[in-house]
Amino acid sequence: MSRIRDLSTFNAVRTAGLAKLLPARPRIAVGMGTCGAGNGAEGVFNALADAIHARGLDVSLVRTGCFGFCAEEPLVNVWIPGMPLVILHRVRAEQTGQILDGLAAHVVPETLALCKIESWDHLTGQISYGHGFPSIPNWNEISFFQGQVKVVMRDCGLINPDDVEEYIAVGGYQALYKVLIDGMPELAIEQIKASRLRGRGGAGFSTGAKLEFLHKARGERKFLICNADEGDPGAYMNRNEIEGDPHALLEGMTIGGYLTGATQGIIYVRAEYPLAVQRLNAALATARDYGLLGKDILGRGFDFDIQLVEGAGAFVCGEETALIASLEGRAGRPRPRPPFPAERGLWGCPTDINNVETWFNIAPIIARGPAWFTEMGSNKSAGTKVISLVGKVRNTGLVEFPLGTPLAKYIYDAGGGPMPGHVVKAVQTGGPSGGCIPREMLDTPVDYETLGKLGAIMGSGGMVVMDDDNCMVDVARYFIAFTRSESCGKCTPCRVGLDKALRTLTRITRGEGREEDLAALDELGRMIQATSLCGLGQSAPNSMLTALRHFRDEFEDHIRAHRCHAGVCQDLALSPCENTCPLHMNIPRFLELYREGRLAEAFDSVIMDNPLPASTGRVCQHPCDSRCRRKGTDEAVNMREVHRVIADAVLLGDAFEESVARILARKLPATGKKIAVVGAGPTGLTAAFYLALLGHAVTVLEQRPEPGGMLRYALPEYRLPKAVLDREVEIIRRLGVGFTFDTSVGKTTTLNDLEAAYDAVFLSIGTWKESHVYVPGTELSGVWPALTFLEDVACDKPLDLGSHVVVIGGGNAAIDCARTVVRKGAAATVVYRRERKDMPAIVEEVAEAEQEGVQFRFLASPHRITGEHGTVKAIEVLKTRLGEFDASGRRRPIDTDEVRVVPCSAVILAVGEDVDRDFYAGSGLTIKESGILEADRYTLETSRHNFYAGGDLIAGASNVSNAMSYGKNAARNIDERLTGEKRFDSIMPSFAYDQTVPAPPSTARRHHATPAPAATRAQTFEEVMPALIPEEACEEAARCLRCDIREPIHAAQN
Amino acid sequence: MSQKISVRIDGQLCTAEAGQTIYQVAQAAGRHIPALCHMEGLSSAGSCRLCLVQVEGLGRLLPACTTPARDGMAVTTQSETLAHNRRMALELLFSERNHICAVCVSNGHCELQALACELGVTSVRFPYNYPRLPVDASHPRFVLDHNRCVLCTRCVRVCDEIEGAHVWDIAGRGIASMLVCELDRPWGEAESCTGCGKCVQVCPTGALVEKGRAVEEMTKRRGPVLHLAERKEARP
Amino acid sequence: MSATTSPGTPPRVRLATMWLDGCSGCHMSLLDIDEALVAVAPRIEMVYGPLVDAQEFPENVDVTLIEGAVSNHDDLEHVRTARARSRLLVALGDCAVTSNVPSMRNRWPVKNLLETIYVAGTDTGRLVPTEGVPPLLKKSVPLHDIVKIDLHVPGCPPAAPVILFTLTALLDGHMPDFTDPCVVSKVRFG
Repeated sequence: MSRIRDLSTFNAVRTAGLAKLLPARPRIAVGMGTCGAGNGAEGVFNALADAIHARGLDVSLVRTGCFGFCAEEPLVNVWIPGMPLVILHRVRAEQTGQILDGLAAHVVPETLALCKIESWDHLTGQISYGHGFPSIPNWNEISFFQGQVKVVMRDCGLINPDDVEEYIAVGGYQALYKVLIDGMPELAIEQIKASRLRGRGGAGFSTGAKLEFLHKARGERKFLICNADEGDPGAYMNRNEIEGDPHALLEGMTIGGYLTGATQGIIYVRAEYPLAVQRLNAALATARDYGLLGKDILGRGFDFDIQLVEGAGAFVCGEETALIASLEGRAGRPRPRPPFPAERGLWGCPTDINNVETWFNIAPIIARGPAWFTEMGSNKSAGTKVISLVGKVRNTGLVEFPLGTPLAKYIYDAGGGPMPGHVVKAVQTGGPSGGCIPREMLDTPVDYETLGKLGAIMGSGGMVVMDDDNCMVDVARYFIAFTRSESCGKCTPCRVGLDKALRTLTRITRGEGREEDLAALDELGRMIQATSLCGLGQSAPNSMLTALRHFRDEFEDHIRAHRCHAGVCQDLALSPCENTCPLHMNIPRFLELYREGRLAEAFDSVIMDNPLPASTGRVCQHPCDSRCRRKGTDEAVNMREVHRVIADAVLLGDAFEESVARILARKLPATGKKIAVVGAGPTGLTAAFYLALLGHAVTVLEQRPEPGGMLRYALPEYRLPKAVLDREVEIIRRLGVGFTFDTSVGKTTTLNDLEAAYDAVFLSIGTWKESHVYVPGTELSGVWPALTFLEDVACDKPLDLGSHVVVIGGGNAAIDCARTVVRKGAAATVVYRRERKDMPAIVEEVAEAEQEGVQFRFLASPHRITGEHGTVKAIEVLKTRLGEFDASGRRRPIDTDEVRVVPCSAVILAVGEDVDRDFYAGSGLTIKESGILEADRYTLETSRHNFYAGGDLIAGASNVSNAMSYGKNAARNIDERLTGEKRFDSIMPSFAYDQTVPAPPSTARRHHATPAPAATRAQTFEEVMPALIPEEACEEAARCLRCDIREPIHAAQN
Repeated sequence: MSQKISVRIDGQLCTAEAGQTIYQVAQAAGRHIPALCHMEGLSSAGSCRLCLVQVEGLGRLLPACTTPARDGMAVTTQSETLAHNRRMALELLFSERNHICAVCVSNGHCELQALACELGVTSVRFPYNYPRLPVDASHPRFVLDHNRCVLCTRCVRVCDEIEGAHVWDIAGRGIASMLVCELDRPWGEAESCTGCGKCVQVCPTGALVEKGRAVEEMTKRRGPVLHLAERKEARP
Repeated sequence: MSATTSPGTPPRVRLATMWLDGCSGCHMSLLDIDEALVAVAPRIEMVYGPLVDAQEFPENVDVTLIEGAVSNHDDLEHVRTARARSRLLVALGDCAVTSNVPSMRNRWPVKNLLETIYVAGTDTGRLVPTEGVPPLLKKSVPLHDIVKIDLHVPGCPPAAPVILFTLTALLDGHMPDFTDPCVVSKVRFG
């Protein structure tokens, strides 16, 4: 170790460093930032050290910081002289032997390899590692790193942070040397101003201007402070930067000291960052030893020293005046500015405070010049920004893109998109002071101005991705709770206002919110923003206000419907399954009643929650499965199948009559009110069932000759035998509901007629009209819209399909058509423009279709249908590729030029349906711009008095259970409006049943219903899927973990 | 110090001395700005946020009590937005602790109450917190009732700056902030308290009061404190 | 009980008053407007309240003045009824506006409170009364926590001139302007 006095001693150190970085023997570096250590890097390092010692290998083993891909830690760099540096990921201690084995033969374990680096631009110096390993991708070829520009993180994960010689080897301290030799601080300040570097702590003030203030400020002592008090939840870029490259910070600050005339620097670092503190202390000591800090720096007669101060971790100390108060030994509370710290700062002396990352940018700007810097980033926001990407994405870690990069690139490219089976809902930038940006706005560029305009901020660079499992009310509550507890309490709006906001938000998450709460929160939030003393209070309402602005529906759901669709707010749900069920069936109850052998009561429980239990037991999309907590142990409880067993046992068994009698006994006395239900589909039937039970006289008007709607005419017999549906309709008839068939509103009767004859009208018309598709050739004979096809089959009309039918689409209707085609003796191919995993159809149905011989062609979209003599001959499809993620959270298919011809005899278009809205004309109903009927989301009231609407009419094409939920809601609201009382819950039965959590839970695995063999079932329209046998169903019911049972937590509070 | 500047307050052109705060300039010009934590003779905390004013050309509202007036500044001290914010700040203060004016010894002599009257606050829209807070009656002559404290820190400042004892400070943070005597001990046991009572006289509400006063009886005397502050200021 | 109107005079305002958890001081203050009552009375038809003999809260009330906080289940019901049947609801006095003195019990759980008073605090009975008394709410709250209030008149009690000023304004068909110099310093809490 030698003190650097002049260029020759500087160069000697540099040469020594290079010899360590690129030694004549293999070098292994283990990523040992906090993220690496947390993933077991210490064990890997020790295992490597032991093995190298035991084998007597000539290998250099060092520690390094994190290369940024924190989720893939521990990362291990392996460099064999002459070869590229290879980064291995997710290395475990027991794999170290494997790594060492190959060194002599110049091989690395490719299964562990993440990427390679052939040469690296450290900005202040270049390192060439070598060429080779063609099968390993270059670092910037893997999606996480693609497009990243490492300016701040130029050395992180590559050099040994504890070795100043390695830092000097990659060009470190050259910029400091340069400014000291040049001796023109004003010029250097001009360069920093010209670079348009802005404060990376979030405020975005020009760094050059700040340095200039301090340079010009008069005072005997001046201070430079580095704010390393990183306290945002989910943000840790400063920690990793310091852990990976502490000398870059020291060099930046020392340059700053020379430019401004400050003689003392202070790094205010969180005490909760022990490793960063340790590395900084080590770096400070070595820098002083090498003459890079202290008296006579680099022999140029400049004195500057840096002191490390550990902050106790108060969030408000990130505010500069509070930070200064804390440094002076007082409580960390801010004071009003002016005076600004540049005039009166620490101990009353002129002071400049900058974020860690700002200081990291100084040396490269001095070394490469301002023009190089402004080339990166957007007009007003130059350079790069390190973002810590966390939350609901596949890849998490530190991402450094040029400023101005759109949010979508962070989330979908670096982040790898949402977790499987989920969609991104929002992204929260800037930590607790930031705001939530909805999915629809992910093309927003990340820079100071744009994020500010959206009510979010860049902040210090935290980015939390949220998906459909996140409740935005709860997110707002969380961040307000954080800022409330971190508020210093000095000023009124922040101290009391945040407390009031938290109380209101908490009330909303408990289902006790009031309609006026939202306006009050908005008003309060704006007042706190406008009047708080410091940045904490001024920005604290951001997350709440942006959530209110972009996710108002969710707040209203909590307040008006007492629902939290994400299932986060526990007070609003019985259990995750109940919360997910569109009909909010009490699933744990019927499972338990059935398990206890109480079939009749289980049936009552089921049918009172769901009037079409046997049909839904077969065809429901069963979203309940997706949230079942049993998935954490093995697989979800097969709730739909137990539900079906219960329904079938009663509806198709001997107990039918007595069950009907029990239902009829629940009927309330006649009210004398007459209600018309238009449409006998699942929505209408459900509404009719409940309205009849509530004592109203109900008439269902249906344009087809039989009831059931899609259940009867669109669902093939093999999925839903019509005999089952008939039993369900029978109960509704016995309740006194009248049916008028072959009646079409707008044709045979008018809304005015209905208004005159009834007290209330519920419109529940299905999506029978085909959506338009612009494919040339649809006029040919042999082209069917899916619903027409299915209806024709259901009505036994003769069809000439030929030998091979192509079905276009990926939903349930497409699969139903394909399987029906097979049963009609033709071959079927489903053409879908996205990937298999993006199909909206029920997964099991797709698998069964495949077993029955249905072919699939994915990533293909119809181009045109060609014919001969007016009959279909073939369809031309375009190959598609997947582009950006669209609003549905799936990648958007983009047509390519590649055309494939698929010969076929018929084409079925299952590309979506629409409501036949002919009757709207002159109806007095308000239609929204989207063409959908306007109705209140909660009461289902339309713009016309006494007219209600539900199902497909207001929601678009959906599925059976969703459609039924509208019927149920409509019945509740129509009854309340007609009688002025809340009577709906009074028709519901109650049961006493076991309320203990099964301990231990059943160990049985999920029971699946087994379909008949594909070869035989594909021949007939017999029902494919047999029910579970009662013993299996009982065992299945016992698998429930009983999430509905709560410990009385809230009772103990208050 | 005697450099003259001109400032426009609510349209009225005022001459002031450099270094004066907006509050001082406005007061000299006869413009009243509501304030609670600010008190003449003490340093300014800028914490109650009632005296926020609008300075032309600036996006942020600034506290009049701490912001130095600058030459050519145009200040608005009264507007619908400012009044709205001030009323809301008062409502927040009223609902934070237990201000039951009807049974308060300071009823009728309370600055918080008077401000509500002045700004037209006739009700508080926020739910009251009703915290359970202690009353420290351990001092032989004075009482500290935390239920009435608005955390203005006048007592902290007067004791530190005028009396030089620094008996008081704020402990905790956020909504849990509390005025503490020394290192959180009963007032009666304080070693540094001189019993001068300045804190009581500057307290704007019924938080620091003299013992033995019944409802409406506690009037405060600011004169001696102001006098001492002037003497201190005049010292070379 | 329809108002007797002679041709040419405007119909009398149907006024109700209600006494919830309060000390009746606000009603006293209302009577304290003294001789002004004579001027006001002909324009008013008192339809409900402790000052008149009416068993049930009538429909179609123009103005209801409510004194007192909402402290028990009966109060809750009464204030809701008053809201449903009145055009204008006025919170009269601090108890109605802020819950004032009744709120002083809010810092303790109701159970502890009742036991301290009725069990620990007495030698006789030693039983929390449940018969014939409405159960207490967890907290005693101001009226606007329960229903929408159109006008708040603070004061403990509101000074008689303030009440007169309020009544006169309402009878004249507009909301009182409390920034009016003749009342501004009198409209206050406490």
